[in-house]
Amino acid sequence: MAGSDLPKPAASPKRNRNEFVRENIPASERVASAVLLCLILGIGVGLWIKGKHFDPNRYALRTDALKSTAGAVEGKAGTLRSAGETQPGEEGASAAPRPKAEAATAEAEPAEGAAAAPKPAIKGEPLEIALPGLKPMGATEFYSSDNLFEKIDGRAPAYQGFNVQQLRSRSFSVNALSGSFVDVYEFRFDSPVNAFGMFALERDPKGKPLDFAPDGYAGEMGWFFRQGAVYVQVIASDQKPETLALAVAIAQNRAKQLPADDAGLAGRRKLPAEGLIADSIAFVPDNAQGQAFLKNVYQANYNFAGGKLSFFVMVTGPGEAAAAWKSYLDFSGQFGGKATVLPDASGAKLFAAENFGTAKVIYQREGEIGGVVDVPNGELARQFVEKYLAGQIK
Amino acid sequence: MKWSFKDLLKLRSVRRVAQVFFFSLFLFFVVISDLRYLKGYPASLFLELDPLVAFATAITTHTVYIGLLLSLLLILPTLLFGRIFCNWICPYGILHHFIGWLLGKRRAEERERIEANRYKKLYSLKYVILIGMIVAAVCGSLQIGLLDPICLFHRSMTTAIMPLLNLFIPSSVYVRQYFHMGAWVIGFLLFFLVGMNVLIPRFFCRVLCPLGAFLGTLSSVALWRIDRNPDKCVDCDLCLKSCEGASDPHTQLRKSECFVCFNCIEDCPEDAISFKFMPPLKHEITAPMVPARRALLGSLVGVGFFAFGRASGKTDRDYNKKVIRPPGSVEEKDFLERCIKCDQCIRVCPTNVLQPSLLESGLEGIWTPILNMKLGYCELNCTLCGQVCPTGAIQRITIEEKTGVGPFAEEGPIRLGTAFYDHGRCLPWSMETPCVVCEEVCPVSPKAIYSREVTITKRDGTPITLRRPYVDPALCIGCGICEHECPVTDEAAIRVTAIGETRSRDRRLLMDGGVTSAVRDLEKRQR
Amino acid sequence: MSTNPPPDDTDGRTSRREFILRAGATGALLAGAAVAGRALWQPEHFVPGFQPEKGLQLPSYALALNKTLPSLAIAHGKEHDATVRAAIGALGGMSRFVQKGDIVMIKPNVAFDRPPALAATTHPEALRAVAKLVMEAGAAKVFIADNPINSPAGCFLKSGLRQVASDLNLELLYPETNSFSPLQLEGEVLKHWTFFHEPFKKATKVIGVAPCKDHNLCHASMTMKNWYGLLGGRRNQFHQHIHSIVSDFALMMKPTLVVLDGMNVLMKNGPTGGRLSDVKQMGTVVAGTDMVAVDSYGYTHLLERDLAELTYIHKAHDRGLGNKNWQDTFHKEVQA
Repeated sequence: MAGSDLPKPAASPKRNRNEFVRENIPASERVASAVLLCLILGIGVGLWIKGKHFDPNRYALRTDALKSTAGAVEGKAGTLRSAGETQPGEEGASAAPRPKAEAATAEAEPAEGAAAAPKPAIKGEPLEIALPGLKPMGATEFYSSDNLFEKIDGRAPAYQGFNVQQLRSRSFSVNALSGSFVDVYEFRFDSPVNAFGMFALERDPKGKPLDFAPDGYAGEMGWFFRQGAVYVQVIASDQKPETLALAVAIAQNRAKQLPADDAGLAGRRKLPAEGLIADSIAFVPDNAQGQAFLKNVYQANYNFAGGKLSFFVMVTGPGEAAAAWKSYLDFSGQFGGKATVLPDASGAKLFAAENFGTAKVIYQREGEIGGVVDVPNGELARQFVEKYLAGQIK
Repeated sequence: MKWSFKDLLKLRSVRRVAQVFFFSLFLFFVVISDLRYLKGYPASLFLELDPLVAFATAITTHTVYIGLLLSLLLILPTLLFGRIFCNWICPYGILHHFIGWLLGKRRAEERERIEANRYKKLYSLKYVILIGMIVAAVCGSLQIGLLDPICLFHRSMTTAIMPLLNLFIPSSVYVRQYFHMGAWVIGFLLFFLVGMNVLIPRFFCRVLCPLGAFLGTLSSVALWRIDRNPDKCVDCDLCLKSCEGASDPHTQLRKSECFVCFNCIEDCPEDAISFKFMPPLKHEITAPMVPARRALLGSLVGVGFFAFGRASGKTDRDYNKKVIRPPGSVEEKDFLERCIKCDQCIRVCPTNVLQPSLLESGLEGIWTPILNMKLGYCELNCTLCGQVCPTGAIQRITIEEKTGVGPFAEEGPIRLGTAFYDHGRCLPWSMETPCVVCEEVCPVSPKAIYSREVTITKRDGTPITLRRPYVDPALCIGCGICEHECPVTDEAAIRVTAIGETRSRDRRLLMDGGVTSAVRDLEKRQR
Repeated sequence: MSTNPPPDDTDGRTSRREFILRAGATGALLAGAAVAGRALWQPEHFVPGFQPEKGLQLPSYALALNKTLPSLAIAHGKEHDATVRAAIGALGGMSRFVQKGDIVMIKPNVAFDRPPALAATTHPEALRAVAKLVMEAGAAKVFIADNPINSPAGCFLKSGLRQVASDLNLELLYPETNSFSPLQLEGEVLKHWTFFHEPFKKATKVIGVAPCKDHNLCHASMTMKNWYGLLGGRRNQFHQHIHSIVSDFALMMKPTLVVLDGMNVLMKNGPTGGRLSDVKQMGTVVAGTDMVAVDSYGYTHLLERDLAELTYIHKAHDRGLGNKNWQDTFHKEVQA
């Protein structure tokens, strides 16, 4: 061991401090110390500066990058609103059509490519009607234009002709009577005009008008009307008073709940009610009377002065109306026909024509063009038109 | 004793300044490892400077990952000056130094202090530990993180000390309190190691520290060292009074033990000790003293760690479904070659989902990070864990790579796992109660959770229309927010497990996204 | 003056030689550390699980044969050896396919640990017949190998094929850890998978010998499905795209010859079977160079089913990997 036989130094102090402090500090040590102190300072400053500079993409996604996945994705619908499994105790609901993919995967491997992609499930709000005495029977069914035939069979092509978008239908059972129920069909079209067109096409001549829907009528067990772009059919299962009462209530409820929208139906409004043969109202989307310039035309038959005539009206811009009137005038003068411009009446231009044994009188007033066509008696036509323009036939 | 500015220009004084600076810097980095403060600070700087981390990962992965090259900044001075790191820079060493000064024998008799600082054979244990760890690394299992001081200190701060502060001063550290699984083990270990300074000064540094052992080995070729002038020396042994490294400066200096603290220079009453360039070899013990048999035993333990750990099967088919690794993690076998259990990822995670595992990922995976969705979930547009990981166990991925957008739209997102429903616990599936919070919070578009509406008759006879949720495994990225937000909080009705993770070929669930195909294909198939 | 240690000769100074050695050692370590660090440096991260993969590509083992001899032969008989010989003979004999010095890999279906009577695996007598023919044609070495679904040792033993291998001195290769390599393929679904490469490293000819079996998922397991046994890893994912993958096998493997053993056919409860009543004696062996044609004969005539169900056959045909209309190929039907 080191120095055990040498005398120990003077009694060691119990305190911690050194009695001696090193005085002679070599210059090299001073320099090294100074350098190291500066180095430490430099490191501190350097780190502080480093801390200020950073790439913001480290912490948040670069918004630009989202463009790469901007496209929508097919076949990954969120909520599939078709009726799924039935539970014990559930009232029987007919299964809505399953997306095609499920059938495909059960079989052999689907081929790669778009053909195998499943159809997106049809979406919509369930049809809820809160009325006393009613209970929904099963879930709301949804059909698109493509599979509408599954519900309404042969009527589907006509609906497709008017660009039907969706059918939402649900049945409601009558609490008071077991076995009685009311079916509600809401056909949504892409415009009120098309809804009206389909409604008008199926119109029952014997139907009674409804007071809660201007375009509507009631049959023996059914209520049919157009509200906005929806053609609603409420059909009772039988004619028991409670059932019918509930059916009316449902129809009124739907008329109130569905938003009113008469866009494009200005022409319809123009058709006067006086003398109107109710079930004769028709809507012709284009090529009315064989004329390319006659689009979105409303026409109806009237009883007037002991005879029957056909009156039509088209509402568009003033320029188009004027052009259409001129075109019709020119056309009527061709093929051996006779067209005569009549004096203006009530601010409208008029002409009378006779083609192929029938007469017509056509007017144009600002954005409105219409008239009486296909009558044997030109004089009757002129009277009707002039009276209408004067506001005497409402 | 008056103190003048001249006293600052002594190396021991500079050492004290350095200690304060580096310890404060370490604490600073721990505090700013938070999304709110991180900015551009190199929060993992101490780990990247750690030479043992760079050396051991170079052995296991044959690469030096990004910032680990900085370790040369410490290796080169060590090769020249010796173990300056241990007393000047190492924050854990500074902590022990301070605690030892605070609680140790400073009021005791000088003689007691001198005896406490003599070299003991016990101090060769750290070399045996280092050998064991290096052998395990050569086999392919990285275990240095268990005892490396920087890793240990970071881990203790993250899991034990910072939550402790936040418990007593709410919201001082986190917005909301963080919890860590098994924090008590790490906390008590810290207290134990620090407390041992009462018995043996610098207990951890002298007896256990593998980094100290590594640097000690490197110091063998140091060109500068503490030198005692035998002509001036009177054998009073006072140089041992404050010797930090127990390097026996009073006889032949043990180069591998000396911490270059310069206390002996200041303590010597005869001014016999100095820091010299290439003093004679006869006055030193150059290489560390490691008994060969102990070294062999250490190697065997190292081999066993790897071999017995792997043979227990947790990295192969019998993998634990709950070992969900952070996004950007490498495959499991590679993960165990890289993770140094520093828990930096756990510190910086904004949702507290990352947790130190105990034995869930096997013996080799002690204290490696896994996700626990009861405590948090993986935030979609966040890659903080990868940003701070010093070794690339979690690669430094960008948010675009993680979410599969931008240049990575073709590859698609990184998946951590897949969620599965437990129908018996799910409210709409079994309890007649509407819910679908899981669908609401699912962050991807299109959502990986979709629902089917179904109308059932309830127990009381009334009908109810419920939305019953399903998982689409082709879209699920395993982030776990569904599990986290599920109202059945004791054991969620939807739980994420590790199958389907993209980091591993073996653990994919679907082949090429399944029949429903990758989202990218669906996008391209415009009708 | 300290007593410890004794002063040395050099008075506390180092010699020049010592200086150079020590400085040199330190300098070398310094330089070494810096160089090693820089060399191993990985400055860029990668995205785990998304790195591009490379694999081996199998060569084609099919031969360009002259059109004067049939490419499909159907033989009917009472026992294996004679019927197999008749079928191969009708194709022009094994020497048309195997020449002296060839190293031939015969791939049987040994997927399950079943006795041969249950027809879930290649019958040992079929393998024996084919192997004998191969060796008679002058093959230098014959391998048999498969990666079964049940445990390999059990399968080869209980199916009787291990006995055949030891009787005829064939080399039996088990699917060991290091026998697999990544494979690359431009398949419909199969693009990159781990492959049992060991038997193919030296093979010059490949012959598939498959039983004719019902299969619960893809309807049948015959010569095309036989190659499933060459793949490793998590094959249980294949069932997600089973028909595309089976047709990918026709792209992956172009064998020299395939033999469909229809002596005992597993008619139902396949691919595992388990009951003698599932097996029917059809007494036929089909051999050919086009696995699609062979399989379509097998499905219609041996399993007696409607070919329209067998999606993978149609996929393979549409991809140009074979001809499902076996009647249109140059074929011959013989009696053993």
